[in-house]
Amino acid sequence: MKEKLKKFIFAEVIYHEDPASFGNGDDLLEAGLDSMGIMRLIMFAEKEFGVILPDTEIEPDNVHSLDALERWIRQAGQAQ
Amino acid sequence: MLLAPFLRQCGQQPGALALVENGRCIRYAELLARSQSIAAGLQCMGVKPGQPVAIHLHRGIDAVIALFAVLLAGACYVPLDLKNPPSRLAFIIADAGVLAVLGTGAVPAWLEGGLWLDIAACPESTPTPVDTLGDCLAAILYTSGSTGQARGVALSHGAVWAFAQWASDLLELCGSDRIASSAPFFFDLSTFDLYAVLGCGASLHFVPVALSLSPARLSTWLQEHAISGWYTVPSLLSFLAYKGNLAHTPLEHLRFLIFAGEVFPTPALMDLAAKLPQTALYNFFGPTETNVCCYWPVDRARLSPDRPIPIGLPAAACELHIHDETGELWVRGPTLASGYWSGSCLQAFKGQSQVPPFAKGGLGGISTKQEAESPVCENWYPTGDRVSLADGEYWFHGRLGRMLKCSGYRVEPAEIEASVNAMPGVRACAVVGIDDPAAGQRPGLALVMEPWVTPTDIRKALARQLPAYMQPSRCLVLPELPYLPNGKLDYSRVQALIVDTAFSSLKYT
Repeated sequence: MKEKLKKFIFAEVIYHEDPASFGNGDDLLEAGLDSMGIMRLIMFAEKEFGVILPDTEIEPDNVHSLDALERWIRQAGQAQ
Repeated sequence: MLLAPFLRQCGQQPGALALVENGRCIRYAELLARSQSIAAGLQCMGVKPGQPVAIHLHRGIDAVIALFAVLLAGACYVPLDLKNPPSRLAFIIADAGVLAVLGTGAVPAWLEGGLWLDIAACPESTPTPVDTLGDCLAAILYTSGSTGQARGVALSHGAVWAFAQWASDLLELCGSDRIASSAPFFFDLSTFDLYAVLGCGASLHFVPVALSLSPARLSTWLQEHAISGWYTVPSLLSFLAYKGNLAHTPLEHLRFLIFAGEVFPTPALMDLAAKLPQTALYNFFGPTETNVCCYWPVDRARLSPDRPIPIGLPAAACELHIHDETGELWVRGPTLASGYWSGSCLQAFKGQSQVPPFAKGGLGGISTKQEAESPVCENWYPTGDRVSLADGEYWFHGRLGRMLKCSGYRVEPAEIEASVNAMPGVRACAVVGIDDPAAGQRPGLALVMEPWVTPTDIRKALARQLPAYMQPSRCLVLPELPYLPNGKLDYSRVQALIVDTAFSSLKYT
């Protein structure tokens, strides 16, 4: 899941000099993920992984890294 | 002159709430008193009416105090985008020829200390009153320039006042309104918040920056602050409609939403309209040079997912005409900027004094000009926007020139090209717009370089010179740039090459 998210983020959402070096715990918000980027990422994740990410859970804490994103998406999947 | 309605409110209801920022509040009388002290401080520094003063503050209460201080001193303000790299800020300070920079705390490292005025250090004082006329400059807003450098659009007191007056009449603003504010002061959207809202005695509530990342928190904030109106950009409203938990946050106080700055995709707008059935929606349109020249009160019955929305009718007594051959929108009217501010002086718009070629039959537009009431300038401004007129409404069809809109910011490819061309080892380059579902567009860069330079070198250097929204999202190295048979650079070919490479490449770049 992280690889799919990473590939989408660095191909479609933010530019990064060297995505290969970007760690799963590194800060996506610092790397340039903004509100529009989060919106696209959510649209992608909901479609790709067949989950619904609840409105009230869209928080920097859940989207700030690839690890956090995966944890959040998996939790949302289990809750459904 | 521009502050006259605000000053009237200060006299009539000095104790009314003016600004709210993260729990900090300031009332009309206190806002005025603080601004007066700083205005006196500026006068002590020798700042004279008409001279530019930069604002080195993020949007918020302190920044409003500083802006109003500049106007009370009769000077004109230059709001800085503090996210710009220091080199670009230094360029703007030098290009504008500012006499002072207002901020808080220590002098920024890139700035000469003699210009700095710490607003927290100004003792209570009253400035010498200054009489400001309508054609005096109130603000210089720097945008990306087609000349290859940042360029200041100079707005007069009369121009901003005309817009604020028109907008406050249209929206029937009143003292009980509670308006949200999210536009940075270097965007012309902010003139609504500053002059229409505070001219009507309403209160302005600064939207905390972090809320743009959490739409459900944003809607809760709007609800808790009983916000009655907000002028913002479509991207934030799309996010609010999509994931703002509006089903459980009815926003019953929200009378109106205005959006501008980028095209609102109709499906997202329909989503918003359906979730906020009681809120009136308005599409405002116009480049910084005209502030707002067109508006459309959204007619929900006419929204259809596969059709764009119109930009509507002439706003603020502007006259609009469409160029017969190019379809370019020409504007004249009271909200028009005075010109560009460059090299410390004002330059009128190029071609502004020409009479536009009218559409067939001599009537390319309709007008709401009120001869007796509004002073209308003689001059026309060619906007560079391609529009059409159908059934009495204007429709936007894109730009005639090369300007891009990236995340709501104007980006002139020429400015990026000028920076890249100045780097050692670059033989040639071209910047084009790449469609991007999130940002609208992002710059794409094609490069011809000496073998000892890498695209990484170029990117690193660009990051030091230009703000984030101007950084190319794609970079392609070519042996040479493609040209058309007439010798002109083939920008559509450059664009196709960058797009093709992006999709065929397995690498993340």
